[in-house]
Amino acid sequence: MDRRYTILAILVIVAALGLLVLPNRIGNKAIAPEQLLVAIDDPARFLSTDLITERIIAGDPSLQLIDVRMAEQFRQFALPGAVNVPVDSLLSPQWKEILHQPGKDKVFYSNADIEADQAWQICRRNSVDRIFVMKGGLNYWFSTIIKGEEPPATASSNAFDLYHFRLAARQYFTSGVSADAGKVEPGTTGDKKSAEKVNVIKKTSKPAGGGC
Amino acid sequence: MVGPLIPMGVIPQAWDNVFAVLLGMGFGISLEASGFSSSRKIIGTFFGYDFVVLKVFFTAAITALLGLLYFSYLGWVDYSMLYIQPTFVTSAIVGGIVMGIGFSMGGYCPGTSFCALAIGKLDALVFTIGMLIGIFIFSEAFPIVEKMYNSGSLGPKLVSDSLGMSASLFAFLLVVIAVGMFYGATWVERKVKKVDY
Repeated sequence: MDRRYTILAILVIVAALGLLVLPNRIGNKAIAPEQLLVAIDDPARFLSTDLITERIIAGDPSLQLIDVRMAEQFRQFALPGAVNVPVDSLLSPQWKEILHQPGKDKVFYSNADIEADQAWQICRRNSVDRIFVMKGGLNYWFSTIIKGEEPPATASSNAFDLYHFRLAARQYFTSGVSADAGKVEPGTTGDKKSAEKVNVIKKTSKPAGGGC
Repeated sequence: MVGPLIPMGVIPQAWDNVFAVLLGMGFGISLEASGFSSSRKIIGTFFGYDFVVLKVFFTAAITALLGLLYFSYLGWVDYSMLYIQPTFVTSAIVGGIVMGIGFSMGGYCPGTSFCALAIGKLDALVFTIGMLIGIFIFSEAFPIVEKMYNSGSLGPKLVSDSLGMSASLFAFLLVVIAVGMFYGATWVERKVKKVDY
């Protein structure tokens, strides 16, 4: 056999041997602190409860709500279509597909927005993109959408438009039952819808063409 | 395709097809340069007078394997983000047999037949027409074979995982086997009567 082939054969075996003796190294995918600072500073990472409500009602397919509270709380009440990913298990591999869905806006929410913001920061550091935080969390959502009060008669027409939108949304979430704020408990709203199965879009769903 | 550049947003999704065309051209050129547009050369693998198919494809496989693992080690490629074709045991076996028979009868596989057609080979033209008829029959008969087509699904499965060894150990063993095969093939080529083509 040609000497050149012998040299190449030795080279490729040495290269493979090199892989074998290299120590294990987990690739560091975290983004640089400067980038993280810019991202944290950007108010666009917060989405208002009204905007999210509108998108839930419109059935926006690009919206993926992620409930970062404990499983127990999630079972009691969750927004429709939300997936439960508790903050402490955020980095476990089972959530990778959900967090890396292409073409979806991943919106974190918790009771207030502290836990959701923590989840956002962890994910941002981990280079997950298209992630947002629901401003004010479920508490604010509940106090404006479910228990929203009529603005004073002197308020601007915008305030009335918003109020009417919230009123309509309240009827949507309370399944058409007359929206008596006092009677609506967290455990009863939206539960049916939240039980819907969430379809996860896999990162690369297209089969790769190949073969010879 | 073209992971990790498109999934990570380095290149917009719209470039997908442009890359497909460029890669296809590169693939065609490599096939032609390796002599794969000759059915006699390809069929040599079955008769033992020319093992270029084995050598080219095995070289491509181990080069890509080593490259990927090194890139992954250096953090240039996220190995876990690569698309792995799911395994369907039954259709892989049946398809392998059908493809093998077609391959040894016609002297081409789908890619090389187009490659040979591009340089004007008549046998490739006949092969390609036959292939298109085959595709048509398969498509029409799909409801009948659908069950078999989807059976034995194992999902995306890696050989190294099923053998319970690390990717680098598997790569090393495969490289050793490949190099051994190259020498073995050359030895067989010398023993078998030379065929002119």
